[in-house]
Amino acid sequence: MEGNSRIIQFIKATNTVFKDMLDLTVSSGQMENEGDSFVSRGVTVIVGFTGGWKGLFFLDMSQETAMKLATILTGEDYQSVAEEEVLLSCAEVGNIISGNATTAVNNAQPGLNIRLTPPSVFVGEDMSIFNVRLSSWSVLMQTDFGAIKINVAVEEVKK
Amino acid sequence: MDIRCVNSFISGLLNVSGMLGMSSMERKGLSKRAKLRTENDVNIIIGLVGDMRGSVVLSMQEATARNIASTMMGGMPVEKFDMMPKSALCELANMVAGNSVSLLEKEKVLVNITPPTLINGKNMITMISQVETLVVEFEGQEGKIEMNVATED
Repeated sequence: MEGNSRIIQFIKATNTVFKDMLDLTVSSGQMENEGDSFVSRGVTVIVGFTGGWKGLFFLDMSQETAMKLATILTGEDYQSVAEEEVLLSCAEVGNIISGNATTAVNNAQPGLNIRLTPPSVFVGEDMSIFNVRLSSWSVLMQTDFGAIKINVAVEEVKK
Repeated sequence: MDIRCVNSFISGLLNVSGMLGMSSMERKGLSKRAKLRTENDVNIIIGLVGDMRGSVVLSMQEATARNIASTMMGGMPVEKFDMMPKSALCELANMVAGNSVSLLEKEKVLVNITPPTLINGKNMITMISQVETLVVEFEGQEGKIEMNVATED
């Protein structure tokens, strides 16, 4: 499988999750190769893979977008991105997207058996993210409440 | 969390730091936190999947990170926190997690690890799963390292 084709299931999953769960329309941009590092927009959710794939999935957005996302999910307004429910909402969205996508990949390629780690959320200023020895592909998704970048950095484990 | 698992991670870090020439590294404190809020600029995260599911995060100040990278590279001065020290620290985290996981295997706990990711920035807030996080502090000549272990049982 080519490096950039691995992101396709994640684009599909993101579209489905945003449409069905959050009732938002998303338009996806072009795939881009980001090399081994990128600069965060403010909030990053990380989910790791082991099993047939080794690598990470990132969901990256601005602090405003994260707060709006949490508002849609919980129906409450938030003043700060540091509130626990905002962080939990972002983690949950990341978890659902990566869960959907890996289920699709596992079904398409039986025996791959990809497993996920629990999501972690990082919030900060001028954050940069560095993956050692893993080249990543990303797609910028435009939504009504701001841009969300999905980034997939994986390699297949050689048996 | 099982005490045997905690010990494996502590020994893992001490083994690796000894191996890399940071023999002054010592365990200082052990505490529990409901939510992780780190004041450190440099965080390296590794995921765990298998009999245990969770994450390990090594966090430290940028100065400590540069000192560690310098020691790892045989004392070469590290002025800027660029690709070189970042990659050295990712390797450190990978070795620590790898070593800990092989110690866990002896305890009949089978765990797989994800590749490391390094995140650095200012005023960072982190949340690593919804479970309680165990924080182990280490201190040596290079500075202080905090190891956060969060696992879902």
